[in-house]
Amino acid sequence: MSFWFWHGLRRGVQSTRYPFGPETAPGISPGRPVNTQFESAAKAGAAAGICPVGAIVANDRWALVDERTCVHCQRCRLELDVPIDWRPGYEWAELPPNRAHYSPLPRPFSKSLHIMVVDAGDCGACLHEVKQLNNPLYNMHRLGFFTTATPRMADLLLVVGPISENMREPLIKTYEAMPDNKRVMAVGSCAINGGVFGRSFMSAGGVGSVLPVDLEVPGNPPPPLAILHALLAATGRKPLGTPEFAEAVPISKPAGRGPSGL
Amino acid sequence: MTVVSSSGNGRNPKTCLDDLIAAVLDRFAEAVSAAPAGHGYAAGFQLGHPETLRSLCRFLFWDQGCSFGGIIAEEHPSHWQLYYPFLLPGNGWTAVSLRLPSDATTVPSISSEVHAADWHEREIEDLFGLVFEGHPRLGDFILHDQVWHEGIAPMRKSFSANQPHFERQPNLEWRPLLVVQDPGAFAMPVGPVYEGGVGESLHFLLETVGEDVVRSSPRLFYNYRAVEKIAEGKTINDALLLAERFAATSAFAHSLAFCQAVENIYSSRVSSRAQQLRVALCELERLRHHAAAIAAICESTALAVSASQAAIIEEHLLRASCVFAGHRYLFGLNIPGGLTRDFDTQACTELLNATNKACTDLLELEDRLRYSSSFLDRLEDVGAIDARDARDLNLVGPIGRASAQSNDLRRACPYSGYERYKFDVPCESEGDGYARLRVLFAECVQSAALIRQGVQSLDAGPVRIACDTSHAGASIGWVEAPRGAALHWVSIDGLGVIERYRAIAPSFNNWLGFHLAAENFAFQDFPIILATFGLSATECDR
Amino acid sequence: MIAASVTATALLLAFVTCACGIVACALVSRTKVAGVVAAGGTLSSIFLMLASGAVLVSGRSFEASLWVLEGWGRFTLRMDALSSIFLFAAGVVYLSSSIFVKTFSTTRPGNREAARRFGVMYFVLMASVVLILIASDVPLFLITWECMSILCFLLINYKHRERADRSAGYLMLAMSEAGFIMVLIAFLIVGKSAPSLSFPALAAAGSTLSHGALWAVFTLGFLGFGVKAGLVPVNFWLPRSYTASPSIFIPVFAGVTLNLGFYGILRLNGDLAPGSYGTGLFAIIVGSVTALVGILYATTESDMKTMLAFSSIENAGVIVAGIGAFLVFRATGHAVASAIALTAALYHMVNHSVYKTLLFQGAGYVEAETGTRDMDRLGGLSRILPGLSAVFLVGCLAISAVPPFNGFVSEWLTLQALLRSAILGSASIRIVFALCGAALALTAALAVTCFVKAYAMSFLGIRRGTWGPQAQRNAHAPFPLWFLAVVCLLLGVLPTYIIPILNRAVEPMAQASVTAALVPPFFTATATNQQLPPAFLQDFHNLGAQSGGAVLPGRGLVVLLRGGEQNPVVFAMSPSYSLIALALMLFLAWLVISRWTRERAVVRRELWAGGIPRLLAEMTYTATGFSNPVRVVFQAVFRPNITEDTRQTVAVHFRTAIRRRREETPIVDRLFLRPIRDAMAGVASILAGMHHGRLNMYIAYVVGFFLIILFLYRVT
Repeated sequence: MSFWFWHGLRRGVQSTRYPFGPETAPGISPGRPVNTQFESAAKAGAAAGICPVGAIVANDRWALVDERTCVHCQRCRLELDVPIDWRPGYEWAELPPNRAHYSPLPRPFSKSLHIMVVDAGDCGACLHEVKQLNNPLYNMHRLGFFTTATPRMADLLLVVGPISENMREPLIKTYEAMPDNKRVMAVGSCAINGGVFGRSFMSAGGVGSVLPVDLEVPGNPPPPLAILHALLAATGRKPLGTPEFAEAVPISKPAGRGPSGL
Repeated sequence: MTVVSSSGNGRNPKTCLDDLIAAVLDRFAEAVSAAPAGHGYAAGFQLGHPETLRSLCRFLFWDQGCSFGGIIAEEHPSHWQLYYPFLLPGNGWTAVSLRLPSDATTVPSISSEVHAADWHEREIEDLFGLVFEGHPRLGDFILHDQVWHEGIAPMRKSFSANQPHFERQPNLEWRPLLVVQDPGAFAMPVGPVYEGGVGESLHFLLETVGEDVVRSSPRLFYNYRAVEKIAEGKTINDALLLAERFAATSAFAHSLAFCQAVENIYSSRVSSRAQQLRVALCELERLRHHAAAIAAICESTALAVSASQAAIIEEHLLRASCVFAGHRYLFGLNIPGGLTRDFDTQACTELLNATNKACTDLLELEDRLRYSSSFLDRLEDVGAIDARDARDLNLVGPIGRASAQSNDLRRACPYSGYERYKFDVPCESEGDGYARLRVLFAECVQSAALIRQGVQSLDAGPVRIACDTSHAGASIGWVEAPRGAALHWVSIDGLGVIERYRAIAPSFNNWLGFHLAAENFAFQDFPIILATFGLSATECDR
Repeated sequence: MIAASVTATALLLAFVTCACGIVACALVSRTKVAGVVAAGGTLSSIFLMLASGAVLVSGRSFEASLWVLEGWGRFTLRMDALSSIFLFAAGVVYLSSSIFVKTFSTTRPGNREAARRFGVMYFVLMASVVLILIASDVPLFLITWECMSILCFLLINYKHRERADRSAGYLMLAMSEAGFIMVLIAFLIVGKSAPSLSFPALAAAGSTLSHGALWAVFTLGFLGFGVKAGLVPVNFWLPRSYTASPSIFIPVFAGVTLNLGFYGILRLNGDLAPGSYGTGLFAIIVGSVTALVGILYATTESDMKTMLAFSSIENAGVIVAGIGAFLVFRATGHAVASAIALTAALYHMVNHSVYKTLLFQGAGYVEAETGTRDMDRLGGLSRILPGLSAVFLVGCLAISAVPPFNGFVSEWLTLQALLRSAILGSASIRIVFALCGAALALTAALAVTCFVKAYAMSFLGIRRGTWGPQAQRNAHAPFPLWFLAVVCLLLGVLPTYIIPILNRAVEPMAQASVTAALVPPFFTATATNQQLPPAFLQDFHNLGAQSGGAVLPGRGLVVLLRGGEQNPVVFAMSPSYSLIALALMLFLAWLVISRWTRERAVVRRELWAGGIPRLLAEMTYTATGFSNPVRVVFQAVFRPNITEDTRQTVAVHFRTAIRRRREETPIVDRLFLRPIRDAMAGVASILAGMHHGRLNMYIAYVVGFFLIILFLYRVT
């Protein structure tokens, strides 16, 4: 059995440098579409029309993207003659639209956060990305993040999935079983607004209709580094909304953004 | 280990099917009439009246050795249409179709003969309200009685799916149905929010008398999102999103089955380049899925280093998928008519390097695991399902192949050009956890070989052809998903909108067999049995 | 003299009260019988306690001569310290049982048909028990013994018209008779060479018995009294009878009549005909095996009364092991060790009477409130019956030997006595002691498991059965249980006062004073006290007991054995100080918590069960499940027979029921009862061949027998 130990040592340290430096390995994130200025309003209109969930809205020559709604179907970059701009990056966590500010968990939690993960109808991709956080390449334990099996010891409730009706009661019970000073994080576009499943008789259309949400991580699925960034933001170790390691300067936005695509 | 190699069984497939049709007609002379090929089926049988259904299905399943695909139920304004697809290996799908008047409320149940139909009938009863006579346990299946009440039948056309349905009378006095009746027996509840760490929502009742768990019954459908219902009325492209994302860890496979069904409706023949790329992407997904399953098995036995190594391999494959196809889980690639994007030689070479490296690493891992006796102790003879039970319940995928059910749709009913490839279908006979692990490793090797064959000599040509979606039609599409055989049924009306979408997922078939593996085991083996089964609740729940 | 007259008066009054009780029960209306029993029983038990207390305090035994019966001798009574201890324990049990009869009858107003019968027999039984304990000659002893056996049988079956199964009572009667015959023969062997059949004469004759006769007396007496005491080869009647006896009788049955077996063993084998160390080893081994078998079956039993019955067997084993150690040490000349062993045995006997009575009364109330004794179907009683739950918890803690209750002291002393085997010379005896000590330690551990299960599965958790609305919320436990709980606490916290009392009985038998050995007067000892060497006082000062010198009276509160030069203190313990320290720590903890967590809001939320809507009773551990590991580990003892393993299916894989029934025959039945029964049945079937009903053959029998008699008389 000592061979395992030796084999593990031989493999070396594989963990990413993030958050102490940018992660630049290829394939860590699919990126996401950003606001794009087209040559003509027609092209912007075509871009808006191709999105199946209405995440793109045309405003004159601009195609404005609502990141919360985007489901990463890639049609806006593969099926248009002039594709929309697609930027790499992974620091995507943001506040829900009805929240003005976010108070992170106090200092004792910042390097020791216990996370309760609940699958409420998830397709499997978001849950799988959360699972990847425990592998040696991301290794969230080195940052002090742990998953627990019981909500009694949890500080953060991480919900994936559009909240199927059969899971509504268990999710609420889980939330109520957590001791106070807790935060709720919705991971993935399904958890934010129902994703491709939307609202139906079996799907509540996002965590926001069931529980008060503190942080959202858009993406379908958000890559592990995005979830890691969100956890760091939840504990106040990283700011929200100002990506530290963006690849390029974003295009200047016009005054006033379009309505969200719901 | 036995392998089923790429040479056929030497007989002309056409005559096998003809023999089958002749045998059926011979035996059930007046009650059954042969239907022409269509809707993706190679043959069909039309039943005159429902009474012969049971004996016909038994004949096909047991006497003729067909495997059972599922039950597809459709509600039309004037009648009910039920399809029972059976697969004669090497010969395509055969459907027994039954038409009932629209005021019919009961159908004879075939689950006493073909046990694999058990859950299909329960699902149709829960969702459509059709009662299957002779089924001993209907109700409280998909719509849990503690949340809903009986009789809602959401799949009926009269039910509107788009608003929340709050008029419910849940059964507050619901009690589980316990099977063990020893004095002093009790049932330990596990879930739905349970797994130490990150896990899907499942509920188990482990019935025990204090030492060994005698029986465990899973309660699924906590993740039910009514995908089949909300797909109705959507355009093909929108429904494609749903087909892709109801089980994202086999997204490409399910979207491929959907696209093949649509292509069959409109008789589009995709180019050979698209077929080759589709095969490569399918196998890439299979390789990545199996690496994840191996990592889960190692983690369940708490052999930390091997779990980490397998997880590293899986993450590298996810990153390779992202580099190659733009998304880690291969979303957004399939479209009816082909693929949405093309791939140049360099990308293909990079992919090949990545998969070869992954395959080498996996073989090295397997070699180490083979000599870890503490690891093998926890897997051998744990959760064993023997071949007879596996055949009985029609288990599919690597689980079935570990119990000597060598059906693989890539070999039994080739699609997307698989008949041109050389590959083996690994098969084991012990049916325990270690056998399943060996099957997973062997299939990884085969997938890597298939990717190599696929991308090394890509045919030139367009990767996408136009798909004329102007008329109505219906068809099945099938694929060997990483977890087993998946069958999709798509019915489109004259406006190009989905009228009925049915997805029969491999996890749905295999979850039925879980209770056989989980009988008389020590409690601490429970996570290992779950991990070696490697099933997905969300794929089953849809 | 005063003491003697107090004793005599109290005894007389006790008997008079019993007689009045008999008459009153026969005359008053049925509904008032319980009250008469309570009043009369309480009074006479108080008189009994007075009488025995006077003897113990004054140290003088009471003697009286009664009339002479032709051919049998003179009936004499003698109440020495040994009898007094048993009598006092019996008094305590009777006090609480009498009141229990009254309070229990009010909760369970059932059929009063047989109440008068019960009352009369109750008082007669009390009188006969007292007479057994103070009888000083064989005929009176045996007559009253037989009377007691028959009354026990009658009381078990006193509602005989209503009961379907009366076989348990018959088995008990049969075993009692068999034991009686063995005891009779033992007494006769001893008395063969004695001038009369009074106990002093037998004691004189006992010392002159030959080795073989001594072994015969020991075996017959030990096994004969062992029937009543519940020892291994002959105790298969006990679980059945305890389960079958009615709730108002069983506290007396378990608390008093079990002790009579120990009394008999001590009297015959300890006092009248003391044996060699071989007999002592036999007693230790039988005791340890009894204890282990008893607790194994108690742990895996889910009927509360049967579990308590097996637990009585276990305690009987511990007591007899202590008696055996006493015999061995006495025979090999270690007087102090033998005194400690005998003290431990007597202490355990007293403790067992108290907490077993408490537990049986508690079980009776549980059955009355819920209608079931099956622990698999109880649960959640502490919410409905909080008072009963508290006293039952005290009983469980006491029997599991948890300080500060009484079980701890006696178990501890027993194990320490066995550890004293270090002073013995022979290696083989030491090995036997070591093995038996290990068995008793295992027993103690299993006892904790057993009573954790008993308390937790019955009183904690979620209600499992369908009894419900009729169980009223009774906040208070009835008086008799509280009384016994307080006695448990007192016996546990004040061993240093109990041991000198027990010493009165121990000293004459062991020829050494256990008070001097275990509880010397530390606080009244000055530096020049002759009893204690100055070096020892110095060591004791290190123990810090001097600190209480001005405050605590007389004896210190530490039980301590001193050794030689190398280890001045062999063992020491003080439950009194432990209780004080425990109370202090709890108080400090409460203080700290209440001060420091004042600002924190404590919210009570629902139980977390994985997100299911409700935690149902069938999802919680049952008593059978809790004790299953024990059943599996000791499978060789249990040898279960799985008789039915049906997997009922509607179709091949639609399993609707998996049923397995396991049948176990208790090991004592398997090894002793069954072979005896089969042998006797075989003999009986052979003899039955003679009864075929043919008249001419019967005439032939008569003629043949007549001829044989003639032949024999001719020969002689």
